[in-house]
Amino acid sequence: MAEPVTVLEAIELTKRFGKNTVVDGVSLKFPEGRLHAILGPNGAGKTTLFNLLTKDYPVDGGEILLRGERVTRLRPHQISRRGVGRSYQITSVLRELTFFENVWLASYRADHAGAPGLWRDFRAHWATAEKTRQVLAELGLEPFTDRKAADVSYGDQRLLEIAVTLATRPEILLLDEPTSGLSQRESERVKQLILSIKGKFTIIMIEHKMNVVMDISDDVTVMNRGKVIASGSPAQISTDAAVRSAYFGL
Amino acid sequence: MNKNLLALAAVVLLAVVAPMVIPISIANEIIVIAIFAMATNLVIGVAGLYSFGQAMFFGAGAYLTGYSLTAGGLSLVPSILIAIAGAAALAGIVGAVIIRRSGFYFMMLTFAFNQMAFYVVLVWSGVTGGEDGMAGIKRAPVGGLDLNDRSVFYAFCAVLFVASYVILRQIKKSPLGLVLEAAKENPRRMASLGYSVHGAQLAAFMISGAFAGLAGSLYVLLYRFVPIDSISWIMSGNVVFMVVIGGMSSMVGPIMGAAVFVWLQGLFSLLWAQWALLFGLFIIFVVFTLRGGLIELFKRVARIRRAGEAHHG
Repeated sequence: MAEPVTVLEAIELTKRFGKNTVVDGVSLKFPEGRLHAILGPNGAGKTTLFNLLTKDYPVDGGEILLRGERVTRLRPHQISRRGVGRSYQITSVLRELTFFENVWLASYRADHAGAPGLWRDFRAHWATAEKTRQVLAELGLEPFTDRKAADVSYGDQRLLEIAVTLATRPEILLLDEPTSGLSQRESERVKQLILSIKGKFTIIMIEHKMNVVMDISDDVTVMNRGKVIASGSPAQISTDAAVRSAYFGL
Repeated sequence: MNKNLLALAAVVLLAVVAPMVIPISIANEIIVIAIFAMATNLVIGVAGLYSFGQAMFFGAGAYLTGYSLTAGGLSLVPSILIAIAGAAALAGIVGAVIIRRSGFYFMMLTFAFNQMAFYVVLVWSGVTGGEDGMAGIKRAPVGGLDLNDRSVFYAFCAVLFVASYVILRQIKKSPLGLVLEAAKENPRRMASLGYSVHGAQLAAFMISGAFAGLAGSLYVLLYRFVPIDSISWIMSGNVVFMVVIGGMSSMVGPIMGAAVFVWLQGLFSLLWAQWALLFGLFIIFVVFTLRGGLIELFKRVARIRRAGEAHHG
């Protein structure tokens, strides 16, 4: 079987905050269409790695290649426009806006390459509105269409966060702890959702819940103290000695 | 009835009725300053950029019109267009330098640029008239309209006022408006969706500058004189007060703020030489009792009425 194409690659990525090296020479390849989980204890540098890949943070060393193109010096919105969508660990939905408006903004970006229009009422952009409703329907969020994000439960905000990310129609999806703070039932819902979109996107996911990671991932990378300590299939990782000591404390 | 149409009808009604109930010169100043206040609301209320340098664009429009009509020897419409384009260009240049700064730093930079503009005008007195301002401005006729007639000039300004309202309201409700509102809350998220937040903010800053320039231009035509105050930081502060008094949630708020500001300024100055003190008390009163500005009064009344109807229904 042919080797799958690498869509995103980190080469010796490094980030320092003062004297602390938070991401320390991380090299990783993300093949197309696979679900790649990143595991590691708190402070391992996982979220910082995401922030480097999306250029939320400037890179101190190393390179990022997106489909072979060097994107290390681009700005966050330019990375996004190249098909990288991301959800945040701390829910970053726009609390003062409705579900419709939150998803609409993402859909509109996917529909329009240029500057946002400045005449027609945003609701009267019918094609975008239609796609917005589709995304809300797919995630079972129609009942919340006109509710303000601030007015719903945390679990529903997490789902909105994913809906917004999907609505940008990305090729690569970076999910930062999609189930954090969710009840068991809610995280099962998110897990099923991720399973349902698996294969349509290249998914890179930071996740703490071991059952979620082991059940749905194709590849797993474990980080500790800014470095990659192991990479492999879920089965390989669960038996890796270095991982067991760093992550499970065994 | 559609809410948009209702608001538009109210704005048109205000423009028509105002000169019948208050002196036409005051009504005229109100609608001109209201354009300035709406322009300022686009940056402060919609985009959340605390600009304390709006008078720089108002003043640029004022001086460009004054100069075009006197030394430039241009006719009226080109003078207004030059004011709009010049103020927008100035906003583009200033904005390009400062838009990446946020919050307090952005505010201080707008203030600093405003002061610089003021001193340029003050020192360059050969062209601007310095402290004395620029006099000798005439309203040349436009397409057979004699703008020296107070009613005709008022109508001319009223048309531009309503047009400014419609345009700025549409921008507020447009995709750009929603992007600005969202970026005010979470710029990082907007960037991760692929929006150039600084690009959108710069666009808003320039559009605001353009309308501030139009207001400055009409102000000069109204008084046939360019006072140096038109570009001073006090003017920048005043327009922010108008927006706060009126309310930022819609473009009707700043119109109400401008009306109340201009009217109260006249009233208080008749009552007491230290009128600014009374004015300060009034602003404190509004901020403490009516968060959201005077427009909030209407919303509260509407809510009470709705509740009443629900009760009776």
